Amino acid sequence: MRVRIKAERCVGHAMCYLAAPEIFVLSDEDGRASVTVDVVPEEFQEAVRQAARSCPEEAVDIY
Amino acid sequence: MQSKLSGKQCPIDHDHESRAYASSWPDQYREMRSECPIAWSKNHGGYWVASRYRDIVAIAQASDVFRSNKTYDAENDVVKGGVLIPPGTSVRGLPIETDRPEWDSYRSFINRKFAPKASEVRRERVRHFTTEMIDRVIETGKLDFVHDLTGPVPAMATMELMGLPLEEWREHADAMHEIVFLPKESEEFGKALERFNWVYQRCAEEFRRYRELPEEDNLLSYFAHGQIDGRPVTEEEALGYALNILAGGVDTTTSLTTHTLVYLYENPEERERLIAEPELLPTAREELVRYFSPMHGIARNVVEDFDIGDVKMEAGDRVFLPWSSGNRDPEIFDEPEKIDLARFPNRHIAFGAGMHRCIGSFMARVMFEEMLTQILERMPDYKVDVSAAERYPSVGTINGWINMPATFTPGKKRLV
Ligand code: HEM
Ligand code: SF4
Repeated sequence: MRVRIKAERCVGHAMCYLAAPEIFVLSDEDGRASVTVDVVPEEFQEAVRQAARSCPEEAVDIY
Repeated sequence: MQSKLSGKQCPIDHDHESRAYASSWPDQYREMRSECPIAWSKNHGGYWVASRYRDIVAIAQASDVFRSNKTYDAENDVVKGGVLIPPGTSVRGLPIETDRPEWDSYRSFINRKFAPKASEVRRERVRHFTTEMIDRVIETGKLDFVHDLTGPVPAMATMELMGLPLEEWREHADAMHEIVFLPKESEEFGKALERFNWVYQRCAEEFRRYRELPEEDNLLSYFAHGQIDGRPVTEEEALGYALNILAGGVDTTTSLTTHTLVYLYENPEERERLIAEPELLPTAREELVRYFSPMHGIARNVVEDFDIGDVKMEAGDRVFLPWSSGNRDPEIFDEPEKIDLARFPNRHIAFGAGMHRCIGSFMARVMFEEMLTQILERMPDYKVDVSAAERYPSVGTINGWINMPATFTPGKKRLV
């Protein structure tokens, strides 16, 4: 499983971070999210799926 | 299914400013979401209301068609556009009442000041204000939650962020609270407006003072010394920011915390649960902000014809977006009328959606957590006198409480 943030959609709701703080970080500049990994380790995959379901902007892209 | 006709289909009697709305909105929106998801209200000069989550988010995201900008024609004293129905004051809130590309400049100028890290740095101070306010009442065993705690703490934290002198907190807290709930036609409203204008005037005076001093770590000083697109910030702009930050940040957080206190009073098992499992706080916080949606809704201005659902919106129309209704849409949330402190995922839109989404949400979360945690620690058995507590007569912009008397077992002060 790979995950990325669609930068043009993310507005910083921080729901992804609440779901998986190990995988997402929020910027000190503007509060928007980015990912800390490219390939999601097995143990965080469910949390990342939750993150995708939590984001009102549909900015968390699992591929 | 209806065909797409031009004209205003689905007429309803919607008026978020009315007293009836304050108690009937959950039912009205439930009916609209299933019968008439985008409807036309003739009140306040006419406007659309979008009640389903998906439409609200789609409209908020299409910010090139659904605009927020406000203009003021001083000669005729007419306010056009903006995010309020009916239109608010002549001051243009920054960045809330701007569109791209202006919005990019205005928002990016202040983003860093509200980012998660900057908000987390303020937690200690918010905790201190909370301790101070609880100390004032802890030995007496009674307080008014709104007047003594949930009003003052966000006001003080926001004043410090702005760079306003903290000694004036009582006047500021009262002014920011009253302006929100007093009905516009009432006599008291005139006085409240005067007090609110005094807050403005204080912001203007401090802005000018900060210009003469070296830069300090607060927003008015940052405005006084900063540059937007390579030119200094004007006084009008500084006041536009102040309006948005004070009006958007203080009473919303007050309302969220106050609603939560009533809910936890009426549901003692949930209060016990939150005390026993403080790790529930993050999901609880999101669920309570979803359910109570303290900023009930906001407006947009349609600048080109747009088909959505079964309706055709036309350039010049206005649209009301009730985040509160989106947040109770059963298409998105299981059992939306139920509060589940552990609900997750929770893709609520209480902080809005699209580019204008709340910049202050991290600050709001810090203030809410600090107040609630310390209340549950220091007055865990508080009892609200619900019969004496009063709701805002109109909840369509901010859904809150005027006052809320309560009693508890007295305790000890923490500060000497
Ligand atoms: C529970 C508390 C809060 C709620 C429910 C809330 C809600 C909202 C909502 C729904 C919007 C979007 C408005 C729109 O789409 O036009 C918004 C925007 C905004 N909020 Fe908040 N807010 C809260 C706390 C705060 C705080 C604490 C601050 C500042 C200290 C703040 C400052 C702002 C600003 C400046 C904007 C405009 C952002 C922009 O236009 O880019 N809010 N808020
Ligand atoms: S939840 Fe969505 S919009 Fe919010 S920070 Fe995460 S990716 Fe961005």
